[in-house]
Amino acid sequence: MKDTRRNRTVLGALLAVALVMITVDYRGGDDSPLRGLRGVGAAVFGPVERASASVVRPVGNTFDAITDAPDQRRRAERLERENQRLREQVRAQRLDASRAGQLQRLLGTAGIGGYKIVAAQVISSGQGFEDTVTLDVGSRSGVRRDMTVMSAEGLVGRIVRVGPATATVLLATDVTSTVGARLEDSKEIGVVQGRGRRGLGNGGTTPLRLQLLDATAPMRVGQRLVTLGSQGESPYVPGVPIGSVQSIDQSVGGLTRTAYIRPFVKFSGLDVVAVVVAPPKSDPREALLPKPPPSPKASPRPTRSPSPGTRPSNPEG
Amino acid sequence: MLNAPEPSPAGRHLSAALILLVALVLQVSVANRLPLPGGVTPDLVLLTVVALALVYGSMTGAVAGFCAGLAADIIPPADHTIGRYALVYCVIGYVCGIASAEMDRQSLVPFFAVAAGALAGTVLYALTGMLLGDPRASWTIVSRMVPLQVLYDVIVSPFIVWAVLRVSRRYERGDRGPSRGDLSVASPARFRAMSGRGPGR
Repeated sequence: MKDTRRNRTVLGALLAVALVMITVDYRGGDDSPLRGLRGVGAAVFGPVERASASVVRPVGNTFDAITDAPDQRRRAERLERENQRLREQVRAQRLDASRAGQLQRLLGTAGIGGYKIVAAQVISSGQGFEDTVTLDVGSRSGVRRDMTVMSAEGLVGRIVRVGPATATVLLATDVTSTVGARLEDSKEIGVVQGRGRRGLGNGGTTPLRLQLLDATAPMRVGQRLVTLGSQGESPYVPGVPIGSVQSIDQSVGGLTRTAYIRPFVKFSGLDVVAVVVAPPKSDPREALLPKPPPSPKASPRPTRSPSPGTRPSNPEG
Repeated sequence: MLNAPEPSPAGRHLSAALILLVALVLQVSVANRLPLPGGVTPDLVLLTVVALALVYGSMTGAVAGFCAGLAADIIPPADHTIGRYALVYCVIGYVCGIASAEMDRQSLVPFFAVAAGALAGTVLYALTGMLLGDPRASWTIVSRMVPLQVLYDVIVSPFIVWAVLRVSRRYERGDRGPSRGDLSVASPARFRAMSGRGPGR
């Protein structure tokens, strides 16, 4: 290559720009001046990603079909149920306010938890070490920062950035994610932390780690966790199922006790999720955990197929 | 806009920008969502930058690397410090461009170069994370992810190199000046053999 002097000048200039950007963004933290750049990125690439997601969805489905062949039937059934439920909920939102209120109350009494949700699809996923995904809903659909994201199975993560038509979700498995959690059947609380991208921990089966604040509190394998709920219900609303205890660290003498959690949500295959845009009126406690059979619907809801309230039973309970 | 370098030989820069844009979108909306074992995915953008640098030289490599990196820093699901990918890809693009000028045209060398570039890029990115104290780039995670990612990169690299060569040739065919000294002349002959087998990807 000729003219290396000019090349070196350009290289030096670009590297200097990159270093300045890293410095500014790192020191600025959450309100760095470069956040605007991310806004530009969301505005420019958001529509492209949405378009490409609709094109490449069949490709992903084919790949899933190959890798997940044994799980395929169960998955299809589950998705069908989920679809039905989400369709109900989306329809509920589109109806006028009074009917929406009615249906909302019905949903609440049915024990679904009373969250008001916006359904969304995952359209892209983060690169490198971060565990983030993009949803196809944004500020135009009423999504804001620090809202809880859940799927029919349980907690997915929280919204960290919102564009006009896209939103970025920090998954619960990311190392920087911290969620307050409560053990079922007890008042013991703890902190659930992610263990790395797509749950590197233990072959991906236990991508979450629970630190129970009371080191002497009883805890057993198989016990399940729901979110504790943050102050002001943001970023996490209470009562969302997280997962079940898979193994407990036996080390003694620490201030906290550590357990490894198998989440209800399969983080590597996220597709249809919901953003909780309004928290429940009251803490649903353990109503959303999959095992106990839901109370029968006492309402004439316009349902065609089997009641959407029958949630999939948890395989390992 | 972010991807468009200065338009002197317009067709070449346009094709490079287009290739990078496609790679970027494929990366976030397809590659990163594949449920591959280990939870790691190949870095298509890095491979594309390396391939472009090998074809066009160090100047284009550095500029294309910077632009692609900046775009990767701000494309929606990104949540790391802005500028990290820009820095890493810029360095990798430049170094691979330098290497291409001195590279032998023997058939397998470009593939080793791409593998080396992928390794260097992945390690460099992890290093910037460690320097900034990013909890995601802690040693336990990096030591598990980097070898697997380099492996995936090497597996994918022939396809990327082939696609980049093919597209860049097509866009250049109209305004081809004196033939370029390095890869773009040497390799398409053998890549064309591959292109006969599969439909254009």
